[in-house]
Amino acid sequence: MSARKADFKRFEALGIQNLAISANLTFSQQTFAESLKLPFPLLSDFPERRVIRAYGMLNEKTMVANRSFFLIDPQGILRRKWIIENPTTTVVYSDTLLRDIQEILGKR
Amino acid sequence: MTSRGAVGGGLLVLAVWSAAGAESPAVAPLLKQLDLVAYRSGTMPPAFSARTVDAHELSLAELHGRVVVLNFWASWCAECRPEMPVLERLHRSFGSRGLAVVGINAREAPATARRYAHDLGLSFPLVLDQEGKISGLYGVVGLPSTFLIGRDGRAVAFAIGPRDWEGGPALAIIEAMLAETAPHPDSR
Repeated sequence: MSARKADFKRFEALGIQNLAISANLTFSQQTFAESLKLPFPLLSDFPERRVIRAYGMLNEKTMVANRSFFLIDPQGILRRKWIIENPTTTVVYSDTLLRDIQEILGKR
Repeated sequence: MTSRGAVGGGLLVLAVWSAAGAESPAVAPLLKQLDLVAYRSGTMPPAFSARTVDAHELSLAELHGRVVVLNFWASWCAECRPEMPVLERLHRSFGSRGLAVVGINAREAPATARRYAHDLGLSFPLVLDQEGKISGLYGVVGLPSTFLIGRDGRAVAFAIGPRDWEGGPALAIIEAMLAETAPHPDSR
């Protein structure tokens, strides 16, 4: 928990607003967020899945989102995306994302 | 099913009904004492229908009109185990007044859940969720997780982790929820 909060603060320090979006019900998202004490908003794209589809991340067979990250700059320009190839086995570490983001933003 | 509780209070019941929601000044502090997360009024829990360990079909819809304590558990969950005899006592003490205690077994084989129920002498319904579909609908990622649902079918609050379900705050919450008027079957 403290590690997650510390990680979140590292994103915050870069001026990044974290948003998470899934095709789950808000009901289940609330339980999930409380269980993990998530310090950022979870957005529900259920049932339309419009945003997930617009980002090309909807698995049309299972109707759930592919695990992925998108970095959008203050001008609304998509600067980078990370698509997770093996979502059930891959652990995404904040360090990896933060290192890439710092490079993109030119902040060290 | 709930006629004694509904008729017993008359006009008083109506007053308690309006005071028993998660946002009421009377209940909100109790929810906090028990470290429960309150739902916004009008939140509906996801519907489900599944088999129990004794091969009956049970749906959330059929519990409409009762106060529901929905507890997600597994036999390997050390923190779940002490809650089970407590939930059994709640089931025995308050069942006739309209409380429905329901356990949702998370992703285990029927035989495992059945043995666990037998060993602990559990008589309240234990629903099987071998594929984790109900857990997914409720967003359960940690056990135990417990959801309180009012007689009107709306979600009142939830707990992540174990709680003292026989303590003063829990019993006060249950009493307040039981005092709600059971809705007419046609009012769904």
